[in-house]
Amino acid sequence: MTIPARRQPTRSASFAATAEEHLDDVYAYLVYLTRDRSLAEDLAAETFEKALKLWRRFDPGRASARTWLCQIARTTALDWFRAEARRRRREEGAATSDRFNQAFAEGLSPDLEAALASLSAGEREVIALRVLLELDGEEAARVLGLSPTAVSTRLSRALKKLEERVGAHVTV
Amino acid sequence: MSPSEALQRDIRAARPIATRELRERVRALAAQEPARQPFLARFAWRRLVLVAPATVVVALVAAGVIGLTRDDVSRNGDRSASAGASTVENGLQRQPSTLDQDAAESSAAPSQGAPFATPVQPNAAIAPDPGRVQRYAAELQVRVENLEALSRATQRAQRIAASLGGNVSSLSYNAPRGGIGSANIVLRIPIGRVQTAMTQLSQLGTILGQRFGVEDLQPAVDDLSTQVEQAQRRIARSTRQLRNTSLLAEERAVLRSRLATERARLGELRAGLSATRAEGRFATVSLTLTTEEVDAVVPAGQESKLDGIKDVLVWEGVVALYALVVAGPILLLGVLLWLALRLRRRQQETRLLEQS
Repeated sequence: MTIPARRQPTRSASFAATAEEHLDDVYAYLVYLTRDRSLAEDLAAETFEKALKLWRRFDPGRASARTWLCQIARTTALDWFRAEARRRRREEGAATSDRFNQAFAEGLSPDLEAALASLSAGEREVIALRVLLELDGEEAARVLGLSPTAVSTRLSRALKKLEERVGAHVTV
Repeated sequence: MSPSEALQRDIRAARPIATRELRERVRALAAQEPARQPFLARFAWRRLVLVAPATVVVALVAAGVIGLTRDDVSRNGDRSASAGASTVENGLQRQPSTLDQDAAESSAAPSQGAPFATPVQPNAAIAPDPGRVQRYAAELQVRVENLEALSRATQRAQRIAASLGGNVSSLSYNAPRGGIGSANIVLRIPIGRVQTAMTQLSQLGTILGQRFGVEDLQPAVDDLSTQVEQAQRRIARSTRQLRNTSLLAEERAVLRSRLATERARLGELRAGLSATRAEGRFATVSLTLTTEEVDAVVPAGQESKLDGIKDVLVWEGVVALYALVVAGPILLLGVLLWLALRLRRRQQETRLLEQS
């Protein structure tokens, strides 16, 4: 896998410019994490709202703006997952939401789409970070709160599983 | 290209792109970029790494400054304390010392018999104030090479006193054969020439210690002068009253008795005034000459300053240790709790993401 050279963010960049530059990254990450494009939009907006409040405390020496935004996006998504889990427990037996029927993105083959959807959120997010956003091991590890080795292991397993499932879909 | 690489290529090729609506929402949000927040809101804990060494440096500098200045402060405090004391003796109020200087530190005082420190610089004597009546006392300890030099120095000290218009008040000389010789000489030197005397006496050998004390007698002189004038006025008044021929015999007897008492009192006051003034004309210089060898140690002033720094550092260390002992277990528990909560949160997150 070829990783493009990291752009070193500068603190002098405005929040607007940073948001504009990394909006697609955050959105794509959230789409993969939630499997729901409309939900990803809401969470992306919430992410940038939080980021705006925290912007003065952002330190480019610690992490790139993209990594920092992905960390906030992940926290936002986890909060939503927790709230959703509580809601599901409360409404046990009720019909589940059909929010996962949307496609990840235009252009994905149905087999790949189905295989991606069958992965857990944890597996999808590592694919999103390492493959889609092309973060390097350390950046992805920072977002996920894991060691780079653990990220690498998780990515390998996720890709292997994805490969197997795409193959299974094709075979069927 | 492996199947995995092909999948990755496909995933990248179909990358989700933010919708126009989302882009507009984020742009509208970004337009509200807030003003700079207060310092505390921006404070990062990792900056403690920078703050901690700076704190240590400040503590060391503070210890140095306090240690260097505390000696002077305490000495000034001693002066103030001594200035606040006064004694009454023989009906004459004696004023306390206005200044007391111990050039070799109290531990080096000859009267205590402690070994002196490294030779003290001469000519550190404080000058008497010629405009005031003062009692001036000085102590000087000087080491000479041997018994022969001791004898010469003793004679020279007497000559110095005489040449300056002073005299020897007392002298004791002890020079056992092969032993440690010493001489204690008390000199009375005209106060205006005491500095010259101290300079010349300090050249008799190596100065081991010197001490000066000045007691201001001017207030006592002023008080006595006032009392003399009052007594004179009372005597004049009694004398005038006695000239009155119409006085009864009993009244005359009372006035004569009072006049006699006032005259006696005036005599005492004049004697006291004269003695006090005489006391202010001569300084007492106690010279100790010795052949005793003294080990060189750290100069007294420097030693006390170093001690001051050391004391402050010790206290800072004690406080830091105390804080560590008290707060250490709490901090450790806090860190362990934080780590446990963090681990639990990670596990919950992992489960949550696996289920989603």
